[in-house]
Formats: sequence, C-alpha cells, structure tokens
Amino acid sequence: MGDLFSNLGLGFGVVFNLVQWSPAFLGGMSIPIPVNILLCLIGALVGTLVGVLPGIGTIATVAMLLPITFGLPPVGALIMLAGIYYGAQYGGSTTSILVNIPGEAGSVVTALDGFQMAKQGRAGPALAIAAIGSFFAGCVATVLIAVLGAPLTRVALAFGPAEYFSLMVLGLIFAVVLAKGSVLKAIAMIVLGLLLSMVGSDIETGASRMAFNIPELADGLGFATVAMGLFGFAEIIRNLDTGGESDRELVQQKVSGLMPTAKDLKDSTPAVLRGTVLGSILGILPGGGAVIASFAAYTLEKKISRTPSRFGRGAIEGVAAPESANNAAAQTSFIPLLTLGIPPNAVMALMVGAMTIHGIVPGPQVMQKQPELVWGMIASMWVGNLMLLVINLPLVGIWVRLLRVPYRLMFPSIVIFCSIGIYSVNNAPVDVMLAGAFGIVGYWLIKHDFEPAPLLLGMVLGPLMEENLRRALLISRGDWSVFITRPLSAVLMLIAATLLVLAVLPSLRKKRDEVFVESEN
Amino acid sequence: MSNKPVQEEGKSILPTWIKGPQDFIGGLALVALALFALWASRDLQGMHGFSFGAGTAPRMFSVLLLGLGAAIAAVGVLSEGAHLAKYHWRGPLFVTLAILSFALTIRPMGMIFAAMTSFLIAACGSAETRWTETVIVGACLTAFCSLLFPYALGLPLQLLPTFLIR
Repeated sequence: MGDLFSNLGLGFGVVFNLVQWSPAFLGGMSIPIPVNILLCLIGALVGTLVGVLPGIGTIATVAMLLPITFGLPPVGALIMLAGIYYGAQYGGSTTSILVNIPGEAGSVVTALDGFQMAKQGRAGPALAIAAIGSFFAGCVATVLIAVLGAPLTRVALAFGPAEYFSLMVLGLIFAVVLAKGSVLKAIAMIVLGLLLSMVGSDIETGASRMAFNIPELADGLGFATVAMGLFGFAEIIRNLDTGGESDRELVQQKVSGLMPTAKDLKDSTPAVLRGTVLGSILGILPGGGAVIASFAAYTLEKKISRTPSRFGRGAIEGVAAPESANNAAAQTSFIPLLTLGIPPNAVMALMVGAMTIHGIVPGPQVMQKQPELVWGMIASMWVGNLMLLVINLPLVGIWVRLLRVPYRLMFPSIVIFCSIGIYSVNNAPVDVMLAGAFGIVGYWLIKHDFEPAPLLLGMVLGPLMEENLRRALLISRGDWSVFITRPLSAVLMLIAATLLVLAVLPSLRKKRDEVFVESEN
Repeated sequence: MSNKPVQEEGKSILPTWIKGPQDFIGGLALVALALFALWASRDLQGMHGFSFGAGTAPRMFSVLLLGLGAAIAAVGVLSEGAHLAKYHWRGPLFVTLAILSFALTIRPMGMIFAAMTSFLIAACGSAETRWTETVIVGACLTAFCSLLFPYALGLPLQLLPTFLIR
C-alpha cells in the first residue's frame, strides 16, 4: 500500500511539475508554469476537437496528431497523447449523441439511445451523463492501473522469451476473438501486419529485407506513416464515397439544460457502476479495449433491465453504461502496455510507436528505470479525465458548431494536415507517398471487409515476436517444444488455443455476433 | 453502414459458382501478396543450424498469409457472401493526386505552395465543392499550418520555395 501512495505521489509530482519560465521581456522575472498540466489540457482539447469531426475515429485522431508531439520531451509527449486519446473518445460520444454519426466504433452503441435522447430535447443530460460516467470510470481505472502496475511488472520480469512469445500470441488471438467480423479475415490481417513489419533491416544480421534498395525503407516502414495512411487517408476516401453530408441529421434544437434530473442520476448510477467494472475487465484483456467494452455493457444493461423495450428509445442507462465502460477500458488497456510492453489494441499500438520515436522501449524495464514516466502518465490520466469533465460540458456549444463544418471543406484540410504531419516526421517526401499508397490499400481493405486495426497491431508486435521467437529457439537449441514444455508458456498457449477453437465454434460465434449486431436492430 | 456492397445484377464478371465474390477476390489478393513477399525475400538467408536467418521469419509469415488467403478465397467460393463493393473513382483519385503533389512539391517549392496546391487538388475530389469558400479556407489553413508546424511546434519546415531563399 505504501508503495502505491509513494508511486502515485511521484506521478502527481511529475504532472504538477512547475517549470520556471523567464522570458526576456519580463526582465529577469520568472513565472512558474505547470507544463505537463498544460500539455494534458491541450491534448484533451485538441483530441476532442478532432474527435468531434464526424467520420474520424479515435485511431485516426491519435495517428493524425502524433506528429505534433514529436518535438516535446518524452514525458510531456506521452501525457499529451494520452490526453488526445481521451479527448478523441469523448469527442466521439458527443458526435454520436448529437448527430447520430458515431465518430468511432466505441460509441456506436451510445448513438442508439443518446441520439434518441437528443431528439427528445434531452441532449444536455445525455452529454452530462456521458461525461460524469466517463469521469467516474476514469477515476476507478486510474486506481486500478496504480494497484496492478507494480505486481504485474514483477510477473513480467520473470518472463523469458518463450513466455513473451506465447503471451503475444495470446494477445493477438484475443484481439481476433474480441473483434467484430470474420475470425479468419482478422487473423489474415494480423499476419499481413507481421509481414509488413519485416520490411527493413534484420535486427541481428542487419541484412536488408524486402526493401528493394529504397533508402527510406531501409529502417522499415514508418509506423506513423502506415497508421496515417490506413486510418487517416483511407477514412477520407471512404467518407467521400458516401457523399459526406447527405445523411447528416444534426439535432437542430439548442442544447439547453445540461443538468440531468435526480431521476436520471438515480437510473444511471447502477449502470455506470456495472459499466465501469465490465469495462475495466475487458480493457485489461489483451485484444480488448473500448469497442468491445461499450458493446458488452450495452447488451448487459438491456439484458438485466426490467423494461428492455425502453432501450433504443432514449434510455439514459443506454448512454451511461457504454460510456463508462468505454472510458474504463480505454484506460485499463494501458496496463498491458505499461507493464508487459504489449499493446492490446490499435491505439496502444500507436502509443508504442510514439514511445519508440522517443527512444523508449515499452516493457517492464520502463517501470523500473523510468518510474517518473510511467507514474506521471498514470497520474495524468486522472487529471485528463477531470479536465474533460470541466472543459467539455461548457464547451458543448463549440463542438456543436464544429459539427456543422461541411465535409467538403473538412476533407482537404485533413489531407493537408496529415501530409504535413507525415512529412515532418523524417522530412522525407517518400513517407508521404507511402502513406498515400497505404491510404489506397486501406480503402481496398475496407471495401473487402477487412479490418485495418489488427494489421496495425501485427505491425507493432512483429519485430517483438520475431526477436522473442528467435531467442527462445536459440536458448532451447532449436527445440520448438519449448513453448509447451515451459509451464507458464504452456498455459498461455493453451488459453490461446482454447479461445481460438471457441471463437470458430458456431454457437459461440453467434453469441459474439449478437453483441455487435445489437446496434443494427 | 453505407459501405455495404451494392448488389449489382448481371454486372459481375465472376462466374456464378463463386458465391462470395468479395471474400474470393480479397483472399486471392492476399495470396498474391504472400507470393510476392516470398519472391522478395528469396535471397535472404534461411535457417542455419537452429538459429534463424534473416529470411526465416519473413518466409514463415508469408507462408502463413498464403494459407490464410487461400482459406479466405475458399470460403468465398463455398459460402454465400457479399458481392463486390462499388468503387468510386473521383475521391480516391483526387486525394491520391493531392498527396502526390504535396510529396513532389514540398522540397522544391516549400510548404506554403505545396499545402495550398494540394488543398485545391483534394477539393476536386468532391462534387459538392464550391470554389470561393474552398480558396478562402485553403488559404486560412495554409496560414495556420505555416504558423503551427514551424513556429509553435518547432519543426524544421521550409515555408518558401528554394529558389526564393537562395
């Protein structure tokens, strides 16, 4: 327990760190500035700003804004990115409540009841409950991360290469099972990601692999480049197909009366609690994350409700539960990343990308060697959530106005912004072209119903998997049975195999699809 | 969802025994990609003794992708599935052109020129574009980015064409 408080203390110390700013025009006077809090605030604001724009999901938002954090010191950059992440998520729910266009998959279910509430003139309470539920979930999740962080790190340090490899396999299988759509296609996307991560030079021999003598490919495909192409450009092209504005149905009434009534609060409290618990658990699971959490929470609420018929017609529980769950999961999904160094979903994969750019290799060592980074980030999550609550409710008016920006002006802006962002990473025009190519690839994937998110996950995990596989086999002198003879690794592999079998069994597959289909009824 | 494939009767070029053209083509493309990767990594060293060579992992993943792609294509043949989605050419074409133009002009012409041109090219991607407002918004965005990236974020971006600076 003492550990926990000293760790959190360290974290808050980092977040509230004041930097003395003494500009020349003040003549020697210096002003203390809480730099990290400011970064967190800016991150949350900018994240919401971009997340609110319809058709831009959380992954796309984080990918697009990645370059603006490159110039910062590592701690500040990660704090800002985390802020962008929550902001984007919150922005996504605002869009789904007000326009019925969920900005991201995680808030699809929020749109069901949220938009109905908005149509009944209760957009205010819906937005407020979403914010309050998210804040509560965020608080719980922050504590959970702090509690689980240290013990899990100790477990992780005991892992050998074989265990690590098995854990990554398990994580990827989880990602497949918990995702939407065909299991086979999701696995294929992961493998494609793994294959793409092989481009560049071999870590051990330095041999150039599949780089075709293109100097920009010698270090491998840039992670930010691929993410920006697959999620930024591909989304734009896809949205252009649908004509952009034709189906935008913005709630025209003025958003008035933010405060939920006492009855609203009473109705939604248990939903928030259940959502938080469910979300926290699903977030920790490798492969889990915000999307599955919000779907599962909505399904649960509908199942246990005494009046299920109210759902889809503006039930406040239908907003409270998924919003809490998705925020809880968004945060607890940092746990596998910070303790084990394994990103459980695509957004966390982007975080790994950001860390790598700052020269940090995520994993248990970071927790020990750079505690101020990890704990600072954890503390910043709580601060970030508080800020979302404080800044977003008063700013709802501005977000609504942003929703009115026509797509015909928005998409060229995003194209330019992404292009400059990608170019600025390495000052390489080739990167911009590559991102464009991946945009086309992403468009094709969407057209063939392939999910790009598992691809990104595979791409980040590729080098790690290869390295651990190589090491494990080197230690075992080429004996492949090492993955099932070492007890811990065997357990992980067994779980992975069971999950995979369960996922393809028809009965369970139906159940899984039910959770996702919920939104279409 | 709007990206649900549109059923187009009598327009499919694929034989009728393929029940799920979307999966069939998707799987075949993955197979082709895997074969290409195998070809691209043909010169890399394989296993020596019990340690991996540079080419071992790429080949492993390629073979895996080959199998999965074939399986997806097989599913496409055997089970009823979605038809090929309708492609549009306008959006993809102009967005790609805009990106290309940015990549080609950023070095010689600087950011102001590159951003503005590619904004205008991208705007051609939508039939709803109105030119007056597009030009105004493009100019504002270019100005904003010219302040944000080089000054606020301190990234080394060149704003003006090289021939003007020299």
